[in-house]
Amino acid sequence: MGAHISIPMYQRAVAQRYRLVGQKCTKCGKINFPPKAVCKYCQAGNEFENVSLSGKGKIYSKTVIAGGGAPPEFAEEAKCKGSYPVAIVELDEGPRIIAQLVNPPEEGYSIGMPVEAVFRKIYEEEGVIRYGFKFRMAAQSV
Amino acid sequence: MNKSVISYGVYLPYLRIKRDEYISALGSCSAAYKEKAVMDIDEDTITMAVEAARDAVSGIDAAQIGALSLASANFPYSEKVMAGTVIEALGLNNNILTCQHGNSTLAGTEAFLSAMGMLDQTDQKYALVVVSDAPAAAAAVDLEHGFGAGACAFVLAKDEPGLEIEGVYARAGEAMGLRYRLPGETGVRDIGVKTYASQVYNETIKGAVLGLLRKMQLDPNDYSHLVLHQNDAKTAAALAKKMGFSEEQLNQGQLFSLVGDTGACSALLGLCNVLDNARSGARIIICSYGSGAGSQAISFKLSGACKNTRPVKSLLESKKYISYIYYLKLKRCI
Ligand SMILES: [Zn+2]
Repeated sequence: MGAHISIPMYQRAVAQRYRLVGQKCTKCGKINFPPKAVCKYCQAGNEFENVSLSGKGKIYSKTVIAGGGAPPEFAEEAKCKGSYPVAIVELDEGPRIIAQLVNPPEEGYSIGMPVEAVFRKIYEEEGVIRYGFKFRMAAQSV
Repeated sequence: MNKSVISYGVYLPYLRIKRDEYISALGSCSAAYKEKAVMDIDEDTITMAVEAARDAVSGIDAAQIGALSLASANFPYSEKVMAGTVIEALGLNNNILTCQHGNSTLAGTEAFLSAMGMLDQTDQKYALVVVSDAPAAAAAVDLEHGFGAGACAFVLAKDEPGLEIEGVYARAGEAMGLRYRLPGETGVRDIGVKTYASQVYNETIKGAVLGLLRKMQLDPNDYSHLVLHQNDAKTAAALAKKMGFSEEQLNQGQLFSLVGDTGACSALLGLCNVLDNARSGARIIICSYGSGAGSQAISFKLSGACKNTRPVKSLLESKKYISYIYYLKLKRCI
């Protein structure tokens, strides 16, 4: 079972889920994402400054979730696609986050490749759309 | 007060289906395009709107945006302030003026004109217009064959050089039975009389475009480009010719054959492609169309820089083809 996230809980994290707002620790300067009560880097800072992350990063590690292994809120997507790729992305600003990849190249992709955030529907529950970030391969310089 | 578009952004979904896929699956395809853009299962008109808007505002101080005008004939909710989603996704000020236009493919230029009005009411310098659409109909309906998807966004500014808005003219009147949708239905219908549909399309657009030319005291030769709303490519091309415009003036604004019918986006998306290549000083006329029926024509003059980060050409080239079966899966038909 996937962890159920109530609408009020999701709502409180809108800035973080819609535009990657993280918290910069005023003590050590590192960026916490998702936000924490105490800085996970220096274990001391508890005052932060909001910063919008660029959404740019690189693949740190990757896996594929097969249809049967998908949490129920992703069942519709898994049913359509059979499976979907998930990666740990290391953002340019430092934090690592788990997210789905969209349109991974058919010839494959590897650790270290640049990616960028895209705004997508994550899932839908009780008729309410949960928007958030996924990642795609960074646009090739034109 | 002088108003200009100073930047714009475009989003096209990555997925495409070729007309040939329809033909091999169904034996025919009612729309004459080469391929069309298709939203992925996790996309809707709001996610496309956010992507286009994000590009349009890159390099603009978001704190100076005082109004947001949003348009789609296919919003994911029938009732909700969806401008709120866009505000949060872009990190705009929560106190800006907002409006949403829907219910017909006229919504795109309606939103554009509303944003011009809202600019007069805000102390900020900029208004953001975001138009995103993905027309829908049941898979068994002929109209469905042509339906594509896309989004575009524009930043309007007060008294700054850019794509200057010179004049507008409109026409609206009753036209029954053409592309309509009842409450609670997810797809549009049509009585399916093609000659009647083309006649109304021609008269409505002609009324707006020729009226605007008269009002501006200009003629087709004064314009480098004409962009018309496209339900299909042929009707638009024939009409342009009838109004005294050449193929050359029309070509760059015609994207139907590569993206399909993009509804409320149609003329504005064409405008973006024109802007990618337009010369300084060029005059451009665009005209929208919504069945029922109405048209709004806008005359522009490119008198300063109008920026775009991702050219439409690169978005047209960035794609992956899908099968008709996969297309039906994405549309939740199977
Ligand atoms: Zn710290």
